[in-house]
Amino acid sequence: MIKVQNVSKEFKKVVKESGLKGSVKSLFSRKYDIVKAVNDISFTVAKGEILGFIGANGAGKSTTIKMLTGILTPTKGEIEINGQIPYKNRKKYVREIGVVFGQRTQLWWDLPLTETFTVLKEIYQVDDARFKKQMDFFNEVLELKDFVKSPVRTLSLGQRMRADLAASMLHSPKVLFLDEPTIGLDVVVKSNIREAITKINQEEQTTIILTTHDLKDIETLCKRIIMIDKGTLIYDGSLLDMKNKFGKFREINLSLQNNSDINMLRFKEDLNLNSDDFQIKSNKEKITVIFNSQKIGVSDMLSYILTHTNIADISVNDVNIEEIVRRMYK
Amino acid sequence: MIRILKLYKIFIVQHLKKLMEYRVDFLTGAGSFFITQITNIVFISIIFNQIPSLNGYLYNEIIFIYGFSLLPKGFDHLFTDNLWIVGWYVVRKGDFDRYLTRPISPLFHTIVETIQFDALGEIAMGLILVIYSSIKLALHFTFINIVLLIIAIIFGALIFTAIKIACAALAFWIKQSGSILQIFYCTSDFARYPITIYNKVIRGIITYIIPFAFTAYYPANYILRNGKPLYCIGGVVLMSIILLSLSLIIWHKGINAYESAGS
Repeated sequence: MIKVQNVSKEFKKVVKESGLKGSVKSLFSRKYDIVKAVNDISFTVAKGEILGFIGANGAGKSTTIKMLTGILTPTKGEIEINGQIPYKNRKKYVREIGVVFGQRTQLWWDLPLTETFTVLKEIYQVDDARFKKQMDFFNEVLELKDFVKSPVRTLSLGQRMRADLAASMLHSPKVLFLDEPTIGLDVVVKSNIREAITKINQEEQTTIILTTHDLKDIETLCKRIIMIDKGTLIYDGSLLDMKNKFGKFREINLSLQNNSDINMLRFKEDLNLNSDDFQIKSNKEKITVIFNSQKIGVSDMLSYILTHTNIADISVNDVNIEEIVRRMYK
Repeated sequence: MIRILKLYKIFIVQHLKKLMEYRVDFLTGAGSFFITQITNIVFISIIFNQIPSLNGYLYNEIIFIYGFSLLPKGFDHLFTDNLWIVGWYVVRKGDFDRYLTRPISPLFHTIVETIQFDALGEIAMGLILVIYSSIKLALHFTFINIVLLIIAIIFGALIFTAIKIACAALAFWIKQSGSILQIFYCTSDFARYPITIYNKVIRGIITYIIPFAFTAYYPANYILRNGKPLYCIGGVVLMSIILLSLSLIIWHKGINAYESAGS
């Protein structure tokens, strides 16, 4: 379905010295740096699969998505999706894909949502019966009814994202690209969007590629993930494997009544932990302890901290994806 | 072709709805445009009343050229005004992504998103001046004259469009090309007057390099001075076809060079 082979994307970046002086200087003599946003990535995706793309900000996720959607032309390598080359047969190719950029709406800012759908219906030449069926489906899974008459600019972020998702699906694409579809949304809308994505995937066997920073998105949606760091593919496999390898770390955030108490936490000596298994980060009042939950249980760790220090505030979290990526890369 | 017209209709209807959505802005725009045009008329008549003839061209002949120059410019302005925002913002901010993920030509999509009704003023003014001066000059139009002038207006408008496309497309490389577009667009002001008043360099530039002279002076000369139709009207067609092809090549190269923006 999707074949990506040794794809790289380079950008030319102007190197500027800082300040106004530097800017003026760069008007006359420019130095360029070649930045490799994506470096020699290969993977394949099967029909009906949901693939999660993860990586830190600036890792090259969006650049990869933009190459897959035909917006950017790769510097090197080959992409084939549905037997077509995105950046070559662009007009024909985009008919079979749907795209949502979480940060940027595809809708017409000044028009009511219904009008957007009318325009898209014409652009994609969706026939009336199909159109009605799709709209009913969206109303059911995305609950568009409440705001379908309002101009797009008056929609809340959550409503807008649901509308964007519907707009990208109107023409029943075979592949759906979602670039951070849950960014900035509250928990309820997030789970609503996730449910919708699952239903879309089941209903039409749509292949879905999504990028996200939210581990929960990945957990509920994707069996398989690809992780990129600094433009390079560093992991391609099942979520379960990754969690077993890297996700066993947990994070405790705490603030102490007395900051010097931090010296009382001697994990190495008292708990027999290797230096690989834990890490303490402190940022003024806020202290973060990351530890391997397979070596020491969360409750043991909590009771150890509570007995040795005076706590003002404490919380336990999953380690976020960035932390996992960082650990993998080490 | 039918599909294109259908899409065009839909976009224009949406655009009208958008204009109605912002009623105050629409009314102010329409009002201010009338004021601009009236000031223009007053200005032209003051200037030309002082100059009974210019390089062998009578006052009313100058008015004819001036009026005719507004027609191709106005039609281009009416239909392709959205190219300006490609040069100024759309590419720089990465919003061009949207046009690239739709199964219609991005150029067509960009252009049809707006229709600039302010331009109707330019066109109306042009028509008034052309008709007024024709009456004063007692010009006699044959059917062929009129057909050829209409052809000149259509292809003259395409010269404007081609230059706008090429300049806007530069943004794909340099991110913002609004000012370049502005410079080129402003040279069209030279073409409002008989080009014989300029020195050879400027005349050469506006005839062969940025051929705005073909959007007004030459077609007008066909009527006023019995210019050869092959050169005066054929030149417009030829120039616009050459320029349009070049600008489409630049545009397509530009799309491949498009870098989007971080998100």
